[in-house]
Amino acid sequence: MTHPAQTEYAVELNGCTKEFVTPGGGSYFAVRDIDLKVEPGRFVSIVGPTGSGKSTILNMAAGLLNPSSGTVHSFGQPVDGVNRRASYMFQQDALLPWKSVIDNVSLGLTMAGVSKAEAYDESRRWLEKVGLKNFADRYPHQLSGGMRKRTAVAQAWIVNPDILLMDEPFSALDVQTRQIMENELLELWQESNKAVVFITHDLDEAIALSDEVIILGAGPGSTVVGSYDIDIPRPRDLLDIRDDPKFVDLHREIWGRLKVEVSRTYESAREEEESDAA
Amino acid sequence: MTVAPASKNVEKNISPAAAQKPRRKRAETSNFSIRMGQLALAVGVLGSWELLCRIGVIDPFFFPLPSDILDTVWVWISTGFVFPHLWVTLQEAILAFITGAAAGLILGFLLARVRLLERLFDPFLQMFNALPRVVLAPIFLLWFGLGIWSKVAFGFTLVFFIVFFNTLEGVKSVDRVLVDNAKMLGASEKQLLRHVFIPSALTWIFSSLHISVGFAITGAVVGEYLGASAGVGYAIAQAQGVFDTEGVFAGMFILMFVVLIIDLGVNRVERHLLRWRPPQQAS
Repeated sequence: MTHPAQTEYAVELNGCTKEFVTPGGGSYFAVRDIDLKVEPGRFVSIVGPTGSGKSTILNMAAGLLNPSSGTVHSFGQPVDGVNRRASYMFQQDALLPWKSVIDNVSLGLTMAGVSKAEAYDESRRWLEKVGLKNFADRYPHQLSGGMRKRTAVAQAWIVNPDILLMDEPFSALDVQTRQIMENELLELWQESNKAVVFITHDLDEAIALSDEVIILGAGPGSTVVGSYDIDIPRPRDLLDIRDDPKFVDLHREIWGRLKVEVSRTYESAREEEESDAA
Repeated sequence: MTVAPASKNVEKNISPAAAQKPRRKRAETSNFSIRMGQLALAVGVLGSWELLCRIGVIDPFFFPLPSDILDTVWVWISTGFVFPHLWVTLQEAILAFITGAAAGLILGFLLARVRLLERLFDPFLQMFNALPRVVLAPIFLLWFGLGIWSKVAFGFTLVFFIVFFNTLEGVKSVDRVLVDNAKMLGASEKQLLRHVFIPSALTWIFSSLHISVGFAITGAVVGEYLGASAGVGYAIAQAQGVFDTEGVFAGMFILMFVVLIIDLGVNRVERHLLRWRPPQQAS
């Protein structure tokens, strides 16, 4: 590629395509020609119907997957192997079940060679921040779903990454807990200068949190079909934001686009079912 | 427990722990009655065996009186006759277990992490595993002689494959997300092994340890039975040689209890190392 980066993007995907080989020997494209640029400090959400390859994009940005073609850069450097500038919050529980809460939180530090005492001090500060001060010695299975997510937040933030990759991190939580967690996430993020790539299938959540919402088309082989700037001023109050006229307008506009992709996904799924039945 | 009656009334209305209490008590009583039932079952079976022998329905030559067996066990223990034999058997079993488990663990981890090695070794391992291990005992006798090493080698082949296949499966079935998460937090290959693969594989390895401890002793005893100069298997073979069925049964009972005690130890270690698991799974 001959265009040197003018701005150093925190995450930059250029023409990324990912092809998977199916067990039957065939192959299919998860995503095709993805261009994604995330500036440092920006909160970008990716929204798309099921099977549109949202996680694939995130995994390529994380360096967990290599694109079949195209390039991935992070702060001007090509991503080769795991992206060292990024932390990842997974949709599923990713805490190590055999480690206590504090050992889970301090893991990133201890593995980087920080002494155990120092790592524990820092972990306690983070546990206090996420409201789990008194649960340091519990094992993950002894916590509620919300508490496990808080632990995961602390685990991801403690290494002070420049990029946070979040794959539907709150989708398993009930609505109330989820709103609280979203509020807390925004507060943490506003104090920092971190780039966030947030994946969700919930348009409300995406608009409420983000500076920019990116819409993916129906899969397989989906690509970016729209990108919208969210100019609702910050700080935002997530509990009331859904009544904000700007929010309502943006939601109507973006949903108009997303709806097309969602119904396309739905139709192709139904066709497949019918052809299976036939 | 002594404070329970005083605080009972108060607890009833507030603490959810109070609601659990009666349930636990019921579980305890049912546990107790199960134990009594087990005791009754054992006494019943041994008692009717003894009775049927005494009235001549069962030939005591083939099925000696339980009281005589106990008597022989007592003689073997009180005269100290069995201890040198037991010591030899345990030595063989321990050596077979340590070498077999160590080799199984190392090769299991290696093959699970290096795909190429697994594909290379797989058919040979399957072949050796398909071989009924008992047929190896005679050749090991020729190679390693009548001493303990032929039994160690035999026990090794039994323990190794169980630990190896379980480790391989345990490491390969590690949750992908946990590995990715540790990687994103900066884990090197060595740290992945220490923080993710080994703890995750422990569950599998422990389920195999129970069986392999038993197999280590089986290996030793069967080896001794086929040719040795000492050991519990040898003692049983000697007793059989002079049609001393009481001796055969006595040897069996002693082995049974020794294996039970060792298994209790393994259980305790397992409970400590797997204390992070939710209780309903651990039990």
